[in-house]
Amino acid sequence: MKILLALIKKEIKQILRDPSSIIIAFVLPFISIMIYMYGINLDSVKITMGVKNDDNSPEVATLVKSFGHSKYINSINFDNMEDIKTAVLRSKIKGAVVIPNDFSTKLSRGEKSDLLVITDGSETNTANYVQSYAITIANQWLATSKYAGKIKRPLITAESRTWYNPDLNSHYFIVPGSIAITMTLIGILLTSLVVAREWERGTMEAILSTSVKPMHIVLGKYIPYFVLGMMSMAFNVFLCVGVFKIPFRGNYFLLFFVSGLFLFTSLGIGLTVSSKLKNQFLSSMVAMSLGFMPALMLSGLMYPINSMPEFFQHLTRIIPPRYYVSFIESEFMAGTIPEIVFANAIFLTILGCLLFIAVYMNTSTRLDGKR
Amino acid sequence: MQTVTIKNLTKKFGSAVAIDNLSLNIEKGKITGLIGADGAGKTTLLRTIIGLLLPNEGEISVLGFNPETQKDELNLHIGYMPQKFGLYEDLTVIENLDLYADLKQVPHDFEKMLEFTTLSPFKDRLAGALSGGMKQKLGLACTLLGNPEFLLLDEPSVGVDPISRRDLMKMVREMINPDTTVLWSTAYLDEAHSFDTAVVIDKGKVIYEGKPHDLAPTPQEFENKVIDLMGGYKKEESLIAKNYEYNHSYCGENDYYTVEADNLEKRYGNFYAVKNNTFKIKKGEIFGLLGPNGAGKSTSFKMMCGLAKPTSGTARIMGTDIIKHPAKARSHLGYMAQKFSLYGSLTVRQNLNFFALVYGISLLKRKKKVDEIIEVFGLKEYEKIPAEELPLGLKQRLSMAAALIHNPPVLFLDEPTSGVDILTRRDFWNHITSLAQKGVTILVTTHFMDEAEFCDRISLFYKGQTVAIGTPQELKQKANANDMETTFINLIKESEVNQ
Amino acid sequence: MIRDFLRRVAALIKKEFITIWNDPKTKGIIIGMPLMQLLIFSNTSTMEVQNIDTVILDRSKSVESRELISRFEYSPRFRNFYYVDNEADFKKNFDVQKVQIGLNIPNDFSRKVKSRQGAVVQVVSDGRQTNSAAIGAGYAGQIITGYSNDLIGNNGAGINITVRNWFNPNLKYKWYILTIIVSMLSLVTTLILTSLSIARERELGTFDQLIVSPLSSFEILLGKSIPPLCIAITLTMIMIGIIIVFFKVPFVGSVPLFLLSVAISLLAIVGVGLYISSISNTQQQAILSAMTFMMPAVLLSGFLSPVEDMPVFLQYLTYLNPVRFFMVLSRGIFLKGMGVDDVITNIIPLIIIALITLTLASRTFKRKLG
Repeated sequence: MKILLALIKKEIKQILRDPSSIIIAFVLPFISIMIYMYGINLDSVKITMGVKNDDNSPEVATLVKSFGHSKYINSINFDNMEDIKTAVLRSKIKGAVVIPNDFSTKLSRGEKSDLLVITDGSETNTANYVQSYAITIANQWLATSKYAGKIKRPLITAESRTWYNPDLNSHYFIVPGSIAITMTLIGILLTSLVVAREWERGTMEAILSTSVKPMHIVLGKYIPYFVLGMMSMAFNVFLCVGVFKIPFRGNYFLLFFVSGLFLFTSLGIGLTVSSKLKNQFLSSMVAMSLGFMPALMLSGLMYPINSMPEFFQHLTRIIPPRYYVSFIESEFMAGTIPEIVFANAIFLTILGCLLFIAVYMNTSTRLDGKR
Repeated sequence: MQTVTIKNLTKKFGSAVAIDNLSLNIEKGKITGLIGADGAGKTTLLRTIIGLLLPNEGEISVLGFNPETQKDELNLHIGYMPQKFGLYEDLTVIENLDLYADLKQVPHDFEKMLEFTTLSPFKDRLAGALSGGMKQKLGLACTLLGNPEFLLLDEPSVGVDPISRRDLMKMVREMINPDTTVLWSTAYLDEAHSFDTAVVIDKGKVIYEGKPHDLAPTPQEFENKVIDLMGGYKKEESLIAKNYEYNHSYCGENDYYTVEADNLEKRYGNFYAVKNNTFKIKKGEIFGLLGPNGAGKSTSFKMMCGLAKPTSGTARIMGTDIIKHPAKARSHLGYMAQKFSLYGSLTVRQNLNFFALVYGISLLKRKKKVDEIIEVFGLKEYEKIPAEELPLGLKQRLSMAAALIHNPPVLFLDEPTSGVDILTRRDFWNHITSLAQKGVTILVTTHFMDEAEFCDRISLFYKGQTVAIGTPQELKQKANANDMETTFINLIKESEVNQ
Repeated sequence: MIRDFLRRVAALIKKEFITIWNDPKTKGIIIGMPLMQLLIFSNTSTMEVQNIDTVILDRSKSVESRELISRFEYSPRFRNFYYVDNEADFKKNFDVQKVQIGLNIPNDFSRKVKSRQGAVVQVVSDGRQTNSAAIGAGYAGQIITGYSNDLIGNNGAGINITVRNWFNPNLKYKWYILTIIVSMLSLVTTLILTSLSIARERELGTFDQLIVSPLSSFEILLGKSIPPLCIAITLTMIMIGIIIVFFKVPFVGSVPLFLLSVAISLLAIVGVGLYISSISNTQQQAILSAMTFMMPAVLLSGFLSPVEDMPVFLQYLTYLNPVRFFMVLSRGIFLKGMGVDDVITNIIPLIIIALITLTLASRTFKRKLG
């Protein structure tokens, strides 16, 4: 339809002439991927810890050495608890291990010795690492020490296997996830301003007296930003797979197809907010709160959905990013699994269509808003 | 043959009645002017006629269609130009035209239009970069696409100089067919006088419908007659001026010339927006800056009040250089912007409180002063209303109140009566001239030629320079003309020839 | 002179407050949105892994294997269990993300246990959720070790670890994340309010009227920074109140120090916001610039992964990041009761950042006027 094409052409020109759209679509994602690749490390994190050794035996000295040599720990030796307390208070160390003076004697008697692990509980995420590093290093040392013979072998051991991400490289998980964040951002932020701006500037009133129909206006907004979003998507995928070599085991066609569905829902959210509020300031605030923050926190990207309280688990069902994150993580790391693709795609399609209808209902060719 | 038939139309916004049981017929093939104060209901009427708003009561028939139910069909026959022109500022001239041609589903036949509007050389310029007059022409061009049967223009010539207005008028008359109907809402009565029919609206009702020439033979008399229809204007003593106290402590080093421009220049690279601008204004003088859009008068004005920094030259208020001692110079200044520039979400009182404090009125004196000024400006019943909800005439009064609240010796008014009806304008100028008599120096820019007559002296700008400066009488003599409009046009044409 | 200055700035501040207050929508959004986010995210953010669904392939089908399985069933962390009898189905459950953990018990399990030889149970975790995978596998491992110890006793050499979590004895993740969320929300609110303030006036056309008035650019900036600061501080106090009362997060530090830290951190952010506002001509540009700053600032603040773990170049960059210091301060004073010395160490960079950004803002502002 000629009218639709004219509106799309206009929108595209406006996008090209406004640098902020380009920044959101390409610069922001680039920055965010860079940060995730180089700035954030969710795996084996290097931690600064203290070590206080009250046991004089030469064996235990090697334990202290193992702490020092570990590549995951930056260990500092302490002589007294006061210093440890101050260091923790100052956030200089995230925890400490204290080796009591009867450590080696108990071990040589074939008994269990005690090891005190102190963590900075206020840094709850690193506290776990302090604990696990301490246990791992201590046990590894024990297995190669002269007390090794006195260890009783466990009867049952657990052999751990991680499927789909055997390297346990968190980047393989986080970076595709950041694509989800970016897609949400583009879909919601860009469009939330766009319709409100036309109302504020008076151009909406002018075109309402031409042969334009509501569907033209709606599609005239969806389509150009969809194209921009998919271009951004392609750029992101290129960065992830081509530049940063994140393994992708899935199918590119499906990746783009489902991403397109997700973009469709994000655009829907942004446009609904924008058409309803007709005010740039409010639209952007609401879009950020209802669109972006949930994408970050409730999509399963940062925190597992299963661990949330019941009510919230159900809440995430209406949050489109949840389905997209589930899909993209699986597609990247596990390859194409039909049930997952299908299930998520269906939900995204339904949500997308509902939002589309909402946008359409809020678009009118009269100033009153009535049809 | 009637293009539009309206019977007993009522339109309310909440409890406010915008159109009150109005009945009107608009004849086919004629140019009908819609005249009225801001808030009288002109825009609401236009919007209801084309179906952008739905009536609460009454019947409308436009070209045989019912805008309520047949809006889509109606759209194919009309051309509508809203108040903000509806131009996409990020698109070029040609792109805007292309867009509207596509939206209206008409051929892309622009050659004649571009030539006629003299926009051909600016085809690829962004609409946002055009001057006011050019934007208007472009807006009109987009509206005329497809030769619609019924043309509705909502104050298309507001804020535009006389030459552009004449061009716009010419453009409309030449580009329409004999059976095109035009409904033209305007505040310019000289324009309205040239139409076939005039409809005067006040408070949502029609108070006159007929040929302008039946009412009065000349535009000036027409104006008077319309004023009578609106309830008449009795020139009363200006309370505002009466209340004004000239603070004699303001007499600085140079108290004879209160406002001085000394070789002001504003240069962008090789382009001079303003060049060699020099003038001196005496105490109590009303000095007008006139000129076509883009001639440099707004830039000059902005430099004088500190909104723009000159690339060379000085501007002095009460002897104080506005760039070197901005706070002191500005405290002598009262400023009224062209577009409403006070805080819409604040009430009338809150706005005035703010400006009172900012301009140095102490907390103790503030309440008294604000009370006084609300009384004097007739804003008492609107005290607690957010400024954005006021009709334009009251907004303008509020802006003036804010400008005068600290009794400044100098007033800068930037097209203060733009878009306001004739009654309010007369009233406004009554206040202005009375204030001048009390010693206030007034620098004003305007496009209303009748207002130019009120000025003591005028500086006419063209292409960044002053091409004529003197009293209205002197300028008329120079241009060999009897009225300001012709004077304006003649002098400008002369300068063009001299370039 | 001073009186004039104070009068003018006070007028501007009052005006800013009224503008925000008069509009119910704006009021609701500024206060309501952060609170809503606080409530939702405090409930959903958790590092603990719960409600783990498991698939079990028990080839042994012995008393011992069933005993092991029942320990999983009794564990509060594990939710649903699916029993399969072949490898293919085992994998399928993982593929479709029906389960996060899988147990593969070999058929010689019972024999090996009874004969006191070492038996091995395979614990499989879904690596598509990297964090949960490792943690879930950890829990499984603990249950298996627990069973093993019950069978053979726990003598012999070994190391008993006693863990003391200072400041947060039960290592409640909520305490950590709540203090962080409060800081982030107040920062975001401040940033958005300040970055839009000037840009909005420009777009609405009221800015010229301010410039023409006797207000100097310094006064305008001052008048524009104080209201958002006050609103943000009030909001922060409300949120702090909520987390102390409803979520029972203990506040052990000094209140005045905390208020001081909040004020200065927000001041630094105000500087950033005002700078953004001066360079933006439209509200859209302001919002986007604010986002472009906020995202890296939050991600690189140290709350996701420690600053000391970042590449050196980025570590230096975080010295310019007010969010980083604010996080340390808010957590430190709140949960650890940080003392004056340490507070000062962290506040000084904030003051420096504030000075830099505010100076930059006022310079840009002045330049734009010319």
